[in-house]
Amino acid sequence: MKTSFKKILSALGIFIVPIISILILELIFYLPRTSSFFNFMRFAPFYTGIYFWLSLRKDIFNIFSVFILGIFADVLTSKIIGINLLTFLFLYFISLKMFLYFNILHFTYSWILFTIALITSLAFKYAIISIFYQTLISFLPILFEFILISSLYPILARFYLYTEIKFIHLEERYENQ
Amino acid sequence: MKRQKVLFLKQNYILRILKNFMFAGLFIIALLLILVHKIDLGIISGLSKTVLGITSPFMYVVTLPSQYISDAYKKTSEFFNVYEENNRLNQENQELFLLKEKLQAIETENEILKSLLHHFDTPNTQSYTALVIAENGDAFSNSFIIYLDGASQKIKTGYAVVNEQGLIGRIELVSGSYAKVGLITDISSKIPVISQKSRDRGILIGENKKELKLIFTPHLASFKKGDILVSSGIGGGIPANIPVARIQKADLDTITAIPLFNPTKIEYVKIIAYDITPSKETLEALQ
Repeated sequence: MKTSFKKILSALGIFIVPIISILILELIFYLPRTSSFFNFMRFAPFYTGIYFWLSLRKDIFNIFSVFILGIFADVLTSKIIGINLLTFLFLYFISLKMFLYFNILHFTYSWILFTIALITSLAFKYAIISIFYQTLISFLPILFEFILISSLYPILARFYLYTEIKFIHLEERYENQ
Repeated sequence: MKRQKVLFLKQNYILRILKNFMFAGLFIIALLLILVHKIDLGIISGLSKTVLGITSPFMYVVTLPSQYISDAYKKTSEFFNVYEENNRLNQENQELFLLKEKLQAIETENEILKSLLHHFDTPNTQSYTALVIAENGDAFSNSFIIYLDGASQKIKTGYAVVNEQGLIGRIELVSGSYAKVGLITDISSKIPVISQKSRDRGILIGENKKELKLIFTPHLASFKKGDILVSSGIGGGIPANIPVARIQKADLDTITAIPLFNPTKIEYVKIIAYDITPSKETLEALQ
């Protein structure tokens, strides 16, 4: 009984690790700062995390994980509920389609694909917000956000990779595949 | 054995259908959430309040060390500049003394004119001081979180937030001792304003940029670069005559203005609790 319960817990734990890793980074990025410059990189852990975990561990990071993260992001910003959720789902869809056509063998390719997925998702978010407020908002902040998040990807990916190696056993990785 | 196999196949079939429509289903849920937000049923704002209440104390604790360092730096720099500062204040004091005499005369004249016109002020205005603890915006929104301390019971959504330079924003959400302030540069912000000089009206809207855009202006309006825009008081949310922005560009097709405050230098703010219904004294006087 005890062993089966332990097995269930460890199986659940694998699914929680990617979400927790993203949320921990997000909380660090959400720490108060004096400059509005940091506002543009607030969502970096979400975008990079969703793309990274999808590219590396599609078996433990699924659409429900994206849904949970989307709801969390919306509640955290308390702006328009559903916008971030929709954007993350769009990023999930774009990333999955990309992985169908491209076989990522090198980190640089992954980075390039991330920039494409990110700019598409941000453009999608821009379109929804413009429709919601019935006005065309400035594209420059989004472009700035894109540049910052894209350049942060290698650093954040390193953290996610460390989490994956540290908390998810290699044996389980092959068992699930 | 055969029946079990059929059952297995059926389960697999259902799972496959669910998997195929999962993305579309969640996408529809997200769209519905946006619609619910637009209708504002109160569920989502309640949820946001709870999250703000949980996260804000954490943010406040985190800011404390940086605040102490900043205060120590300020006090040290003030100590070294005390002689120059004293000279400047003496000069300013002399100028203010002259202004005070002039203002007293204007105030008396104003009182006489008001009594002649049977004019009553809207005195239901109270102000509370709050501490800014964190910036809470992203590329699509501009806001920050303030610590209300004892005044939390009296603060409501929609109240104006000002500093010594002018209007900063409005209260968006109140949760316990914390509140979220939406800045006037935010895309959801729309402030009815009037030009201090020409008395032309308009609506100042935020665009998530440093500049604000002035819309719904009269055809023959004479807005000029450098003019100060103050709140007109129309709508009842914000008291009249609070400085809001300075006109930066006044072309035929577009008028842009820049806010008077610097978002990076705001430490303390004042919340104006403004009620358009007159106070007891005014009501009695009106009756």
